[in-house]
Amino acid sequence: MGIRLYQEPQLENPILIAGWPGIGNIGIIAVDTLRRILEAEEFGEIEPWDFFYPRRVLIKKGVLEHLEFPNSKFYFKKTEGKDIIFFIGEEQPTEGGRMYAEGRKAYYMANLVLDVAEEFKCRRVYTSGAAVALTHHTIKPRVWAVPNSESLIPEIRGYGNTVLMSDIEGRGGHGNITGLNGLLLGVAKKRGFEAICLMGEIPVYLQGLPLSYPKASKSVLEVLNYSLKIEVNLDKLDELDQKVEQRIEEFYKQIPSEIRGQLDRLKQVTDAQPAEPGPITEEEEKKIMEDVEKFFKKRGGGG
Amino acid sequence: MSQEYPIKIYKEPDLRRSSLVLGWSEDMSNLGRKATGYLNRKLKGQEFAEIEPEDFFSLGGVAIEGNLAQFPESKFYTCQEHALVVFQSGSPGAEWYKFLNSVLDVAEHHCRVKELYTIGAMVSVGAHTAPRELLAVVNSAEMKEVLSQYDLTRDLDYQTPPGERPTLNAFLLWIAKERNIHGVSLWVPIPFYLATMEDAQAQKKVLSFLDERLDLKIDFSDLDREIREQNEQLARARSRFPQVDDYINRLESNLVLSEEENGELIKKIEDFLREGG
Repeated sequence: MGIRLYQEPQLENPILIAGWPGIGNIGIIAVDTLRRILEAEEFGEIEPWDFFYPRRVLIKKGVLEHLEFPNSKFYFKKTEGKDIIFFIGEEQPTEGGRMYAEGRKAYYMANLVLDVAEEFKCRRVYTSGAAVALTHHTIKPRVWAVPNSESLIPEIRGYGNTVLMSDIEGRGGHGNITGLNGLLLGVAKKRGFEAICLMGEIPVYLQGLPLSYPKASKSVLEVLNYSLKIEVNLDKLDELDQKVEQRIEEFYKQIPSEIRGQLDRLKQVTDAQPAEPGPITEEEEKKIMEDVEKFFKKRGGGG
Repeated sequence: MSQEYPIKIYKEPDLRRSSLVLGWSEDMSNLGRKATGYLNRKLKGQEFAEIEPEDFFSLGGVAIEGNLAQFPESKFYTCQEHALVVFQSGSPGAEWYKFLNSVLDVAEHHCRVKELYTIGAMVSVGAHTAPRELLAVVNSAEMKEVLSQYDLTRDLDYQTPPGERPTLNAFLLWIAKERNIHGVSLWVPIPFYLATMEDAQAQKKVLSFLDERLDLKIDFSDLDREIREQNEQLARARSRFPQVDDYINRLESNLVLSEEENGELIKKIEDFLREGG
């Protein structure tokens, strides 16, 4: 039980980029897109049986041929700038029907991922996820960055299109990152790794839809590219974004005009000075949130 | 995570080689529990071990069934004379791999189990008057060969549809295969309007196979009586409710009912049988 490495690549001070599914699959799409573009090579996995219920069975002519579990795999890429280890988990190990990982299994998985990082002398970890925000889907998503150490803040301040929690109005530097994309950050801190979680903004009214949000994944990758000093072409994400955008527009048209009118006002929230009072007051923000909530409730939960 | 398997053995069974039959409580038509209970009753199964529930079941309260508070139970019985081990349990809600390995640990290390049989039910859109079918999924080609002499449907092709998950029986069969234990998952399709009621015919179908395969020499006269009674009850429902008769006639002619008609048939039959038929 645990980790299975198929090979021992020679890596020089690699960084680890980890991703699991979450809201809008923003993090995992960002991490997986980068892995694909860089053609990273698979070198290991976390054995699934203790963490997951199988997801598919294949029976052929009455014989059980195969039982498939969600994958949790490691990949590596040697680049000129930095060697990179990727970890991609197809599911979060959940307990008791919860949506995101928490508790014993989540902690155990986070430690297994970091065991591999440690074995290859990695000292920096990136995770990625979604930041549910009062923004509009026609606006370029910002990236909320959460480090696990004070020393990383100056570096983050140098990233473009990125905010710290203290920059976000009404947050006071506080917040919560659910699931393993967040937990890994904490476990990394406990074990002395420096780590940053990059969260792409997703409009509050899209968070419950079974749609990915590649526009935010692109924002995350732009920041990641800058941080890692690598250059990759992200056109593929634009193509994916165009497809999703169509479906979002179709959904948006179904929202009652009164609520849509409120949401349209989010177009005026620019990313220029996020800490400054925007054109929407706190009271109006509350009203928008209430209206969106009501709409989803009426619609049957909204996912 | 802990690797200790929370097994309690009360009395070490004396078995040189045995077969294991498993049934889950939450099965459709209660088939798993009824069939394993029947084996225990007829073959005088003696409880000898159990799996402690705390790692596997939600213990945030108790469920009430038939006016009684229930508690998750996962118990092993041995029918020494027939070299048979019976396992009855609720379906665990967590740590499935650990749970199923616990089952196989008892089977392998304490009972020398060489073959296992799981019992399960599935929905059929056919009428109750059609003979019950018995489907088998195996975890080895050798087992498929062994089963060729029995009246079973053995050539099933299946792939989990999107949005669904494999059954616990499939998971168990796969783990058994990893441990070189031959396994068979037995499935009886049950008419959809009997899915929440008991189906004596389905029980007889699976039990007859086990009787033959494991040479149990069971006298089924009591179950035959139950089948007769059930058939008579359903015949009375048909004569009392012309609509029910019409629906079942159509099912007998291999016609498909609308969703609304299905719902009406289920309700009428359930109400009728619950009122004592």
